[in-house]
Amino acid sequence: MVRPGEAAYQKGGAVVRHRVWALLALSALILAACSSDDEGGGGATETTGGGGEIVVGVSWNNYNEERWAMWDEPAIKEALAAGGASYISSDAGSSAEQQLTDVENLISQGADALIILAQDGTAILPAVQSAVEQGIPVIAYDRLIEDPGALYITFDNVEVGRMQARAVFEAVPEGNYVFIKGNAADANADFLRAGQQEVLQEALDSGAIVNVGESYTDNWDPAVAQTNMEQFLTVNDNDVQAVVASNDGTAGGVVAALEAQGLAGEVAVSGQDGDIAALNRVALGTQTVSVWKDARELGKAAGEAAVLLAQGTALGDVPNTVIFDSPGGNEMTSILLTPIPITADNLSIVVDAGWVSVDELCQGVKKGSVAACP
Amino acid sequence: MWAGLVPLGVGFRTTVAETEISTTERAPEAQPEEPEERPRSFRELLRSAEIDARLAGMLFALAVIWVGFHFLSGGTFLTPRNLWNLSVQTSVVAIMATGMVLIIVSRNIDLSVGAMMAAVGMVMGLLQTDWLPRLIGFDHPATWIIALGAGLALGALIGGFQGVIVAYVGVPSFIVTLGGYLVWRGVAWALASGQTIAPMDSNFRLLGGGAEGTTGGMWSWIIGVLACFGIVLLQIQKRRQRARYGFRLRPLWAEVTLAVVACGAVLGAIAVLNRYYLPPLLAEQRGAPPGAQISLGLAYPVLITIVVTVVMTFLATRRRFGRYVYAIGGNPEAAELAGIKTKRTTVKTFALMGTLVGLAGAVQIARLNAAVSSLGTGMELSVIAAAVIGGTSFSGGIGTIPGAVLGALVMQSLQSGMVLMGIEAPLQDIVVGAVLVAAVALDTIIRRRAA
Amino acid sequence: MAITETARRTPLVELRDMRVAFGGVHAVDGVTVDLYPGEIVGLVGGNGAGKTTLIRTLSGAHVADSGEILIDGQPVTISTPRDAKELGVETIYQTLALADNIDAPGNMFLGREVTTSLRNLDSGAMEDATRKLMSRLNPKFEAFAAPVNSLSGGQRQSVAIARAVHFNARILIMDEPTAALGPAETKQVRDLIRQLREEGLGIFLISHDIHDVFDLADRISVMLQGKLVGTVNKDDVTVDEVLAMIIMGKKPGEVTQKDLAELH
Repeated sequence: MVRPGEAAYQKGGAVVRHRVWALLALSALILAACSSDDEGGGGATETTGGGGEIVVGVSWNNYNEERWAMWDEPAIKEALAAGGASYISSDAGSSAEQQLTDVENLISQGADALIILAQDGTAILPAVQSAVEQGIPVIAYDRLIEDPGALYITFDNVEVGRMQARAVFEAVPEGNYVFIKGNAADANADFLRAGQQEVLQEALDSGAIVNVGESYTDNWDPAVAQTNMEQFLTVNDNDVQAVVASNDGTAGGVVAALEAQGLAGEVAVSGQDGDIAALNRVALGTQTVSVWKDARELGKAAGEAAVLLAQGTALGDVPNTVIFDSPGGNEMTSILLTPIPITADNLSIVVDAGWVSVDELCQGVKKGSVAACP
Repeated sequence: MWAGLVPLGVGFRTTVAETEISTTERAPEAQPEEPEERPRSFRELLRSAEIDARLAGMLFALAVIWVGFHFLSGGTFLTPRNLWNLSVQTSVVAIMATGMVLIIVSRNIDLSVGAMMAAVGMVMGLLQTDWLPRLIGFDHPATWIIALGAGLALGALIGGFQGVIVAYVGVPSFIVTLGGYLVWRGVAWALASGQTIAPMDSNFRLLGGGAEGTTGGMWSWIIGVLACFGIVLLQIQKRRQRARYGFRLRPLWAEVTLAVVACGAVLGAIAVLNRYYLPPLLAEQRGAPPGAQISLGLAYPVLITIVVTVVMTFLATRRRFGRYVYAIGGNPEAAELAGIKTKRTTVKTFALMGTLVGLAGAVQIARLNAAVSSLGTGMELSVIAAAVIGGTSFSGGIGTIPGAVLGALVMQSLQSGMVLMGIEAPLQDIVVGAVLVAAVALDTIIRRRAA
Repeated sequence: MAITETARRTPLVELRDMRVAFGGVHAVDGVTVDLYPGEIVGLVGGNGAGKTTLIRTLSGAHVADSGEILIDGQPVTISTPRDAKELGVETIYQTLALADNIDAPGNMFLGREVTTSLRNLDSGAMEDATRKLMSRLNPKFEAFAAPVNSLSGGQRQSVAIARAVHFNARILIMDEPTAALGPAETKQVRDLIRQLREEGLGIFLISHDIHDVFDLADRISVMLQGKLVGTVNKDDVTVDEVLAMIIMGKKPGEVTQKDLAELH
């Protein structure tokens, strides 16, 4: 199941080495040659939008998920329009096989650059390699595709973990900590935990904070998180001061367990995703932080980068890129966007961004207790 | 019908003296002459006391697990608090397991219960946060009952619908419910575009337990004592009925022992649950004097589970519906030839399962205080495992409802106990899977030996 | 046999021109048989002759494609086993049709359970009735609480027979009733069958054992490949002639010495 903002890292997969720069140079030449024709793109088919215009193809893994239509797509389209490019897309309906076909279709429809939200980052590799070979630049959107020829644009998940830990540590610099992690089979869960550990390492070493309980949560299931939290509270006789939960769903389960012991609001809890229920908890004071990723930033960055790449910019020349060492051992040229930790102090950010309404945010909140709920 | 016996006449020379019993003039409480034998082995002991050996075995295994975990967890497992938590944690799966028994007994399967729970749970959640408030405002006293009723009705509808496709169209239940597994999950997502729906209505939340959703010390004792009376009354009634027909009776020592043990277990359980006191922080909030110990007692989810277990056991053993379900499982053709409306019975089992899913879903979202579209993921497997560990066989016709509830308790004890010990989730899965296979293997071997 | 003249004229059961086809195969092809009260009609034929299929139309287990069923001269519709039972037709199937996991009283009353005033199962009453009945049929039977799959073949058969005779049947169908029985039990069942005939029941008896049939039946109807070869009075034919009907489909008048020689 996809949660908004979650990048799905693919473990393992074939490590393929390309003579990237040579190919890119070649493709840049071809693109330059092609774009001087009256019809854009390298194919025989007409592109939409008339002559000379760049066409960017977006391959969605499953368009039906709310986030893409509501946040990402409008942002991408806006960025493309601003760059004078037109937009075509496809929906793979959660099928990795279908997405291979979709990518080929987008290419034959004349796409000059591709933005791919991979259903399966390993399965999509052949299509990506083929596109890059044909001189069509590829952006791996939100989810890792282990091909160094692609530009990887995502939110920094390790940074999310760091932000969660930072916010909780600020509230509770000393005490007993419980770590409620994500799904064991999801690489993201470990990224987050690594980020959390980084921030808390010093305090753990010094003994200021003590790890009194840690567990994965099957399927990121809030009910499982609740049960696990109940057990941790029992073992420690309620002597827990902070819970570093890895997302808002599990945070909800944690808070439910705390409420049964009258500890909600007394114990710091972290989360991510900017779930409306979680933001409400932040306003109520039962959750300390929810790390929010503005999907529109992601869409905008991808749209802008797509235009640049289609115009022939080299991967490394795209602004704001860094080299990210992927789990598969590749050096990915990446744009790592910064998520925003939302605490009680800066709730207005999500309200102003239109992510949540004041009514939803402030349901049950005592007026004036939080800045965003006057 | 009785007249039919007489015209048959006495066609046989019988070697055993016939006991001429006329039903109208039977003297009450007449005992047939039975030599009082001392049972020669433990198994015979159980048989003479007419205790289900399998159930006894499961209780023994549960005791072993509990004591084992108590030591392994450094003395935390057998505390009132943990046992209280355990009772609530078990309820959701236990409620559904009672329905799954009838489904598996009648040679069907239901893989869609988790997805159904998500869809029905979402509807109940949206009713409370969105749809009902628009009509009658927030925190209306009737909100919880409307939401619960809607959930039960919707569950029955979805279950019945699947049942119709199985029974009347003839698609195997595996396929139909596999489809349901996908469809209802998608529906759950579509209802709120994957958003978390929270919080629940304040009255509805009580269904999930927590500090407020309990019956409290006094009422728990009352319920316990009433249950005790009920058990004894049931025993007396059964004995009376047996005596009326002159059947062999359980030896008196066995009856008394059973009554004492059962009552003791009930009252003991209530005592343990009552020893779990309201956390001091919450007691303060309620304005209790400092140092006061407020017993929590039976949590509502546990009460619901107990009521469901009693009702389902009654349905399965004392009603024609239950008899027909078991007959269909034992020999579907024989059931048809006996004139049983097998298709209708099948639809009913699925509709009943759906209703129980709705009820379990209500408990789950009340406990979590949120409805999520990922509700119940993987739960179908836990429910099936509980039924199977409790003695339900996939070949059909065999299985008990109390067994399934015990099975759910065994599995939850394992899982919760392992968290207490700090064992990680993937390792927990290994243990639970191994125990499931071992339990069924043991059961198969014992059954084969007995046959 | 105390049969009045009026009873003699109207058959208890008449199956007229019954046809049952499965796909292209005519399992029962225009068969007419009848049965009078106080009579045993043996229905014989080789494998695949169609005897069981024919009799299943009467017991409600199968609906014929065409044909008429008359009981006491009145046409009736039998679409379900329940219809048959309501008309007084009881059947003992070759497979016994017992639910293995349910005990003897449960099987006895399967589909026709005795209920209390609250419509709960009255297990006591059902067990009592079963005990009484079994005491007449199989006095040594004690396992009233055990599921029937733990009983011996003979015990299971007696449960099936008890079930068939308990409910005021007027017409009894017995498909291989002694197949699973030993000699002593077989004798008991034969005695029972005769007893029931004395009481005025009409019995269709399907059996592979030609001697059994000759012993018990008053008339014999022979089927071959879905068609009726003929119906004869037992007293008018020899075993060999009936065998010729079964195997060669030749009526008694058509049988030659050569045929008879071939039979042996």
